[in-house]
Amino acid sequence: MDGIHDLGGKLGYGPVDVDEPEEPFHADYEGRMWAISRRARVEGINIDWWRHTRENIPADDYLDRSYFDSWAQTEMATLIDAGVCTLDEFVAMRADVLSDVKLAALTKEQFLHEHARKNTRFDRVVSKAPKYAIGDRVVTIETPSIGHTRLPAYARDKFGKVTAHHGAHLLPDAGAAGREEAQHMYTVVFTAQALWGPQAAKNDTVSLELWEDYFV
Amino acid sequence: MPSFDANKVAQIHQHLHSHLPSDSALRVKALETVLVQKGLANSENIDRWVEAYANDVGPMRGAQMVARSWLDADFRHRLLDDAAKAADEMGFSGPASGHLKAVENTDVQHNVVVCTLCSCYPFSILGMAPNWYKTAAYRSRVVREPRAVLDEFGVQISTDVAVHVWDSTAELRYLVIPQRPKGTDGMSVDALVKLVTRNSMIGTQRELSVGA
Repeated sequence: MDGIHDLGGKLGYGPVDVDEPEEPFHADYEGRMWAISRRARVEGINIDWWRHTRENIPADDYLDRSYFDSWAQTEMATLIDAGVCTLDEFVAMRADVLSDVKLAALTKEQFLHEHARKNTRFDRVVSKAPKYAIGDRVVTIETPSIGHTRLPAYARDKFGKVTAHHGAHLLPDAGAAGREEAQHMYTVVFTAQALWGPQAAKNDTVSLELWEDYFV
Repeated sequence: MPSFDANKVAQIHQHLHSHLPSDSALRVKALETVLVQKGLANSENIDRWVEAYANDVGPMRGAQMVARSWLDADFRHRLLDDAAKAADEMGFSGPASGHLKAVENTDVQHNVVVCTLCSCYPFSILGMAPNWYKTAAYRSRVVREPRAVLDEFGVQISTDVAVHVWDSTAELRYLVIPQRPKGTDGMSVDALVKLVTRNSMIGTQRELSVGA
């Protein structure tokens, strides 16, 4: 999707605030939102659809809203869309029907045990052989689907070189459309000059993980 | 089930924008309250997450992996070969560690990590991402002018060192292994761990300082 989220190479966003304090959360709601987003997902709301929902926040709102607030907005939007919650419930800060279900509270040890098991993998076994090998030159497509994609605008219609093959991984473009499809995924290295022209440093490079659908 | 309809969620976003209070804390409170009342979340477990990422899960984990890689050549080999397995071996598996790649800085290459499309980050290895990592300023610029961005962090990279930017937009996450600072021979692993900073494992710091 050619949205506001696709920021790589865009100009006009100013210097980076490098003096930020090191603590993990700068406000209580940040930690709570982080935790809320880590609970078991509602069926069908996969990571790709969640990211696509976030990308669809109107552009001015996307840039203005604080990071974890935009997560809250994304979480609410996916829940309303899936029919799990309503806008009115969030406005009233009260569920229409109170559930009798109370999830078990975990001890710290139980929690850390569960936490360690959240290393979800996205690779899948496929019968199709990989099309490319390490060292191959590839060209990326110019126009991906208008839906979710992980081929950023700056890396479209560019020459790159395959430097690693990771087996087949779930294709985000399909996941965000509700389909599960795995394709071979590669690390592709682009020279900075191929992406940004002769003003870029000659020896600098940028790499991305890309799926076979992203190549011409 | 979700609709998978982008126009529908765009409209929902507009409604949320218009009808919810603008205060971020209140909006998150509304979400938590409704989820708890529906039996979809538990506030005590939310507390556990917050406590864990304040105390137990953070850059100290990555620092332990880096310091061990300086001292233990076999571990370094395993870390470079399959960082997800190496993290598991250290008991550091968790969110976003399923596919992990460690990349080493050398005399001729500096590595720096970004996610230009959102904010992908190896949470269970480095904890919460710094805010700057998630800003439009960092995401837009570091792929295009990495040396200028590093300069803002006080890092000057000489022209004979190549800068490699890893744009981690897929589920593969990155850990930069900074170079071991000179003058640290004979230091214990615990002392070395303390030298490794979060920014050095993202790549916005190159030289680690020895004397604190």
